[in-house]
Amino acid sequence: MALGQGLEDSSISQAIKDVDWLIPLLQSIHIVTIGVVFVSSLMIALRVMGTMRVDEPFVTVWRRFAPWMWYGLCVMVVTGVLLVLGEPVREFTALSFWLKMSLLAVAVLATFVFGRTFGPGGTAHGGADRAAYAGGGAGVAEFSAGAKLAAAAIMLVWLAIIFLGRAIAYDVEVWGGLSLHT
Amino acid sequence: MSLVSVVQSIQDSGVAEWMRTSVKAMPIVESIHVLAAATVFGTIFIVDLRLLGFPNLRRPFTRVSDELLKLTWGAFFTALVTGALMFAANANTYYGNTAFRFKMLALVFAGLNMAMFQLVTFRTVGNWNTDVRPPSAARLAGVLSILVWVTVIFFARWIGFTKGYQFEAPPTDVNFSF
Repeated sequence: MALGQGLEDSSISQAIKDVDWLIPLLQSIHIVTIGVVFVSSLMIALRVMGTMRVDEPFVTVWRRFAPWMWYGLCVMVVTGVLLVLGEPVREFTALSFWLKMSLLAVAVLATFVFGRTFGPGGTAHGGADRAAYAGGGAGVAEFSAGAKLAAAAIMLVWLAIIFLGRAIAYDVEVWGGLSLHT
Repeated sequence: MSLVSVVQSIQDSGVAEWMRTSVKAMPIVESIHVLAAATVFGTIFIVDLRLLGFPNLRRPFTRVSDELLKLTWGAFFTALVTGALMFAANANTYYGNTAFRFKMLALVFAGLNMAMFQLVTFRTVGNWNTDVRPPSAARLAGVLSILVWVTVIFFARWIGFTKGYQFEAPPTDVNFSF
């Protein structure tokens, strides 16, 4: 963990640590943004499952929530990077941190692919969906079981990411002998 | 019985003792609390934005709010239960903690704002449910709601950083099971 210690001693890390209120402020912004990103993703997933906003075409729901998801994620990356710079050893020695980063990559990639497939530019579902609405919106084109499963899986990954985020503060308690602290 | 002794008896309760001694209880309860709080804020934020006319006024306000209601209250109830467990574990510390007191005050304000909207402003919803800009009282309620809930989250996160108070952490040299 030489990198962690090196970062810990760096001037940017010191600068973040020197301001007492900066880390709680960054964590608060991070949590508020979790609310925006998680619920935006949840709205899209619930629309795919057919339990919410079925009065709107899927592309409308996607256009309403996807930007909040992506821009929210940008805010979370910025606050997250600053938090890591503020306490690099704490983060790098937590198994939860590395699991969280891995799952974050999975969630972002899966959401991107999902959007490419079913979103405004996609053909997989959009065509049938638009046709249904063109016919007066009476019928809602049902998503395939695979698409529903994918949406549910993405939500499960977000859940795991949120849990792992909080678990960074409790690495030994959560992982016992597997924790990198030991 | 004074409030202080009530707080003390909460701290001495069996469930509080369990929260303090179980190694995994605190991280799990805290994670659920964060998730529930995020869901409360995220769902309320959608309704607040609709009051402000975002993304548009076409979708009826009541349709936006009704479909999220169960999710918001379910998440709020979950946050309440997990929050109560966290409070119980260190009741004396929370009770004397300024950030915690401000958070509770902000929660009361959020409730008053919601009650005011529901009991007064919402009565005329028939006039502005669809395609009409909500009245200024409704838009104000939306703005206040966003500000107050962000404030709640900020004070909540601040509790953990309050100097001068010792939160009781579970011992780390015990076996890792419930």
